[in-house]
Amino acid sequence: MRKILRINMMDRSFQFEDVPKAYHDLGGRGLTSTIVSNEVKPTVHPLGPHNKIVFAPGIVTGTAASTSGRVSVGAKSPLTGTIKESNAGSQFPQDLARMGIKAIIIEGYQQDDKYWLIHIKWDEKAKAPKVAFFPADEYLDRGLYEVFPEIFARFGNKVSISGIGIAGERRYLNSGVVFNDTDGRPSRYSGRGGLGAVLGSKGVKFIVTDRTGAPAVPLQDKGIFEQGRKKLVDALRNHPITKPGGGLNTLGTAVLVNIINEAGGLPTHNFREGRFEGAAKISGEAMAQLVKERGGGRMGHPCHPGCIIQCSNIIPKPDGSELVSVIEYETTWAFGANCGIDSLDTIGELTRMTNDFGMDTIEMGGTIAIAMEAGLAEFGDGQKAIELMKEVGKGTPLGRLLGNGATLAGKALGVIRVPSVKGQNMPAYEPRAIKGIGVTYATSTMGADHTSGYTIAPENLASGGQSDPLSLEGKADLSRTFQEATAFIDSTGHCLFIAFAILDIPTGFEGVMEECNGVLGTNWTVDDAIRIGTEILKIERAFNESAGFTKADDRLPEFMYYEKLPPHNVAFDIPDEELDSVYGKM
Amino acid sequence: MQDGLLLQEGVIMMIDVWLYGEIASYSGNTDAGAYAHLEMEMTPGSTMRDVLSRLCIPAAERGPTFINSALSAMSGLQPDLGHVLADNDRIGIFSAVSMWPYQYRFGAKMTPELAAALKKLPGGGLHHAYDAEG
Repeated sequence: MRKILRINMMDRSFQFEDVPKAYHDLGGRGLTSTIVSNEVKPTVHPLGPHNKIVFAPGIVTGTAASTSGRVSVGAKSPLTGTIKESNAGSQFPQDLARMGIKAIIIEGYQQDDKYWLIHIKWDEKAKAPKVAFFPADEYLDRGLYEVFPEIFARFGNKVSISGIGIAGERRYLNSGVVFNDTDGRPSRYSGRGGLGAVLGSKGVKFIVTDRTGAPAVPLQDKGIFEQGRKKLVDALRNHPITKPGGGLNTLGTAVLVNIINEAGGLPTHNFREGRFEGAAKISGEAMAQLVKERGGGRMGHPCHPGCIIQCSNIIPKPDGSELVSVIEYETTWAFGANCGIDSLDTIGELTRMTNDFGMDTIEMGGTIAIAMEAGLAEFGDGQKAIELMKEVGKGTPLGRLLGNGATLAGKALGVIRVPSVKGQNMPAYEPRAIKGIGVTYATSTMGADHTSGYTIAPENLASGGQSDPLSLEGKADLSRTFQEATAFIDSTGHCLFIAFAILDIPTGFEGVMEECNGVLGTNWTVDDAIRIGTEILKIERAFNESAGFTKADDRLPEFMYYEKLPPHNVAFDIPDEELDSVYGKM
Repeated sequence: MQDGLLLQEGVIMMIDVWLYGEIASYSGNTDAGAYAHLEMEMTPGSTMRDVLSRLCIPAAERGPTFINSALSAMSGLQPDLGHVLADNDRIGIFSAVSMWPYQYRFGAKMTPELAAALKKLPGGGLHHAYDAEG
């Protein structure tokens, strides 16, 4: 029987609660957003005593379903002020699911400036998880690369770790929730939205899980689950983007650097241009070349056990020793093109520092670019960027300013050109050159977010594939249905990248629904995906409206409407009415 | 000096060519690495087909392709072969293993030939990969 683990950090009390009937078929994002909506008043201070932070594995996480080790972390975001779901891949949610924990809800507030390590271990005798609290003082104000090995040494190599770095301890608005990768690095992040600060505000430093001896996740219908699992595996193994040796596996997510650059949509020098001269040097192709030439690194590395796609990487130093894992597309863009830096070694160093402090690389790169725009460094000055990062780590007044994200830094430094929506810095796709993603940035319930709008097959979209993808109207309709599809996939526990395969291979999509039916005992068909996604978006949207957000917040920053972006020399020109129709028609 | 004279008379034109990934080995430098950048001299009226032919790039190995930052072809959908190039055009050619998922390109600029080819496909070409020659 699955349970919800509720922990109150006022007195470190906890209880395992029965899963309410209304939550039975929910998982991942659907569950975190529903719990936050039901239990958190939208007007609370995100770092105050009445916010709550929720961890939930997806519906099929912990089973044999491929590429499904994803966790959703939800709360009211201190960065955006909206509801937030931030997603990561790790063994951690697989541990929770195996121990029968459908969600962890952490509530209350830090007492006496103390931090705690919460240990959740499977108890063979009791056939239930056992919860213990340990003082975490010894891990404070230290880098995560130093601390993680100590935790593995103390609790065993098979445990999983989640928690915060110094950024979360200091309540930086840019602070992520960290998870370990398959080799124990502090490198997988629910990075966006400042949720590390929320966890810190509860006095939680780490959550360590040990599932040793825990049983398999129970299935309601093993036959249908297995049928679905095979269909999805076939799709992932055969699609050119997701298959072994395919685009993601060979070149990582940074496969997109040269593509988006050629398209004139790679934001460069804090979104001044759409093409970066040094793009080819910081691309996935360049990383693969570096790994080949230097040795010691690796392309095709998994973020969690059971992933077929394996799009992560390990980037080597010149001598072949490890520089950092992982440099994602958005990371190499954030510290690279956006700051005018064309050295993978510098980008790797900045990435490692960001991981070490417990932060989001997208927001951090965006903030350094704002600092450069303000004249604190020249664009392209990698050494100065590293010095600014050191300030962030030390917690000097300048470092604290930069640790609080691009929007706050922009205000403090008098920068008008701040590419954020709802307080969250835009990722690596220029909305003036790629207008469809601009619609998603503007209207997402999460602020500017590139993971809010993944596609599924057109015949399964709410618009029935009737929208003309080439027309202006098509962009709003498509963005809405993409956002709905994404909310569903984020609930299954699958990585969003399965969307690449199941869009083109319909049986893969059927497989996902059958896997869910096998776990839940439901009778979902592909038509239910959009219905479920729509319900999630309505909950999130209602939360944001009650928190004070209106359609006036569903806009891109003003400079993008009047400043033309080279090389296409275009401004953002999607009318407000069109943006409003994304949710107006839902 | 001679090139300058030919340029002036419109006998040749210059095409700025970027080859990415494994396609870079067709630059003539088999040890090209992650990318290759070429300035190609072509006769006026030359097409994309002529450039591919000169470089000996097989159609099956070509992935996403750009002409002046407009998407002109994808793997399995290459309606740009007859596209007539102009002096100083920039071309970017990727290997077939490269990718540009739909949600990251809807609303991006493409050539009229590719737009027309996508329009003919069910769902307006809303796919990540294409397996039929357009």
